[in-house]
Amino acid sequence: MTETAFTESEERLALRAAVRKLAGGYGRDYFVQQARSGGKTTDLWLEIGKHGYLGINIPEEYGGGGGGIGDVAAVCEELAAQGCPLLMMVVSPAICGTVISRFGTDEQKRRWLPGIADGTQTMAFAITEPDAGTNSHNITTTARRDADGWVLNGRKIYISGVDEAAHVLVVARTEDARTGKLKPCLFVVPTDADGFEYSPIPMEIVSPEQQFSVFIDDVRLPADALVGDEDAGLVQLFAGLNPERIMAASFSTGLARFALDKAVAYVKEREVFGAPIGSHQGLAHPLAESKIEIELARLMTQKAAALYDAGDDMGAGEAANMAKYAAAEAACDAADRAVQAHGGNGITQEYGVAGLLVAARAGRIAPVSREMILNFVGMHSLGLPKSY
Amino acid sequence: MNIVVCVKYVPDATADRKFEDDNTVDRVGVDGLLSELDEYAVEQALQIKDKQADDTEVTVLSVGPENATDAVRKALQMGADKGVHVVDDAIAGSDALATSLVLAEAIKKIPHDLVVCGMASTDGGMGVVPAMLSERLGVPGVTLGSEISVEGETVKIRRDGDASTDTIEGSLPLVLSVTDQSGEARYPSFKGIMAAKKKPVETWSLSDLGVDAGSVGAGAAWSVVESTDARPPRTAGEIVTDEDGSGAKALVDFLASKKFI
Ligand SMILES: Cc1cc2nc3c(=O)[nH]c(=O)nc-3n(C[C@H](O)[C@H](O)[C@H](O)COP(=O)(O)OP(=O)(O)OC[C@H]3O[C@@H](n4cnc5c(N)ncnc54)[C@H](O)[C@@H]3O)c2cc1C
Repeated sequence: MTETAFTESEERLALRAAVRKLAGGYGRDYFVQQARSGGKTTDLWLEIGKHGYLGINIPEEYGGGGGGIGDVAAVCEELAAQGCPLLMMVVSPAICGTVISRFGTDEQKRRWLPGIADGTQTMAFAITEPDAGTNSHNITTTARRDADGWVLNGRKIYISGVDEAAHVLVVARTEDARTGKLKPCLFVVPTDADGFEYSPIPMEIVSPEQQFSVFIDDVRLPADALVGDEDAGLVQLFAGLNPERIMAASFSTGLARFALDKAVAYVKEREVFGAPIGSHQGLAHPLAESKIEIELARLMTQKAAALYDAGDDMGAGEAANMAKYAAAEAACDAADRAVQAHGGNGITQEYGVAGLLVAARAGRIAPVSREMILNFVGMHSLGLPKSY
Repeated sequence: MNIVVCVKYVPDATADRKFEDDNTVDRVGVDGLLSELDEYAVEQALQIKDKQADDTEVTVLSVGPENATDAVRKALQMGADKGVHVVDDAIAGSDALATSLVLAEAIKKIPHDLVVCGMASTDGGMGVVPAMLSERLGVPGVTLGSEISVEGETVKIRRDGDASTDTIEGSLPLVLSVTDQSGEARYPSFKGIMAAKKKPVETWSLSDLGVDAGSVGAGAAWSVVESTDARPPRTAGEIVTDEDGSGAKALVDFLASKKFI
């Protein structure tokens, strides 16, 4: 293929092909089987780690691939497109990996990044609280300084993958800034720390990766559990946002591709009035619309990644938000249309399409809701007054 | 040690295959890739390299159209050190004899102790090129290995047959072919993919090899494909229903008629 600014490099395409093949070897059946039996996708996780696909965006000197967010996003998308969407890719290498790579001390990078890169020491990310979801200024998890470190107290919800993680990057505020506008501090907390407990939240998503309520009671942390310095928390959080959105977008476009592929294969085969149902425009056009929506969302995702990797955080912000929005919408539409195209089969476990609905739907809510993206675009892109 | 791996660029088996007007496989207008059976050859070469001294070098060699560099590149991503691509319009339509001639002349120009091939191509499927290569190079041919080991100058393989399992040895230099049982081919790592960008690939024409264009190509082929037919669509198969207890017998009769039991 001809390479232009609007197409991906030969290496990126080769990476996609390699991941596609590896993930295809596991496939949707593996993923669903693990989900329904309470199993985990650790084998797949470690295998992508071993091949260097997981920590691509982490610097080489800390065990990563020295590539960009566009590379790791391509991995995330291809996994999902094979029916194995791994949410922890968004969290561990992209959010936590980025924050620590950019703001950790040298010692912190050496300690945490290699395990994130090869998948042996996954890191979860905890910002959401019962009373602080969309509005993260309401965070009440508090860090109190004591003689030789910190004491952490608080509660988090919807935290993905805590059971599979070695550490959680917890967003808190220091005691002396307990109220008012958030001045966050980010702490790396081992999941086996005394006073750190978690319990699964039953979710309707078909996935081996689960969400948890987290209870943090007088968890003692050494001084260097604080990432970087105390005043840099907000900058750190912002640094994680673009990677998070680009990854979430890729997760959704991958899921959308998987749903669309299933639908297309089905409507080519299934005959109702003596011809494949795909010959009816009532089914063909919605699937064609999905194809268009997915490709547009992918293009915007790649633009956001390219800007981010070129060092343009501001420019990437708008694109990443738009990509995240478009990808979640495309995934919801594709999943819905795939179910419709399958008729009654679309609701069965055997055909495995209905299970995509909730997963796709979650993309409209997390990690940032579609409303908040529309608020962002209204305010920043259109210059409209702030509404909240 | 110097290892040369012969790899073929073939049409993607999962996509539609097409033929040219002269009934040769369309290799230009379709998506192609490194033949899966040759991935096993690359894998074995890399495993041998991993076990040998540091100065072992693996060169991948492909004879094929412009796009065949993709096959070479893929092998480099997996870990081979350098590539040679022989491309010449006159080669199109070559049969196995001509292909082995071009390969052999190219191999002669590359330092080599060991030549590794897959067991067959996934498109032509004749599986004769490795034997022809050993003849043309005048070295032993140790073919269809499903387990391979190299000790010093000796290459030892296990060949699984229907009735027996053979252990075959040869001494370097030689031509080795490996089966799809020899061990899963590795996926290129991210670093491998990025490193391949900088690995050298030389492009040679027939004249670089001193091969006369008249001795290769469709015109010189000893065999021609006269016609091709698409495989008929799969039939629905036979469903055995069992209402009166005769199902088991019907199943057994079916299996027996197909000589499965
Ligand atoms: C599958 C999944 C995984 C998750 N994983 C993690 C994780 O790993 N770590 C983590 O920290 N969190 C995680 N979350 C939490 C997620 O980030 C939050 O659910 C999300 O930020 C929304 O917060 P909330 O649920 O409290 O909704 P709320 O803040 O209660 O919002 C409810 C609704 O009101 C809308 N709304 C609120 N304010 C406005 C406004 N000003 N204008 C317009 N609409 C508004 C929102 O858009 C939303 O639709 C996960 C959630 C899910 C579903």
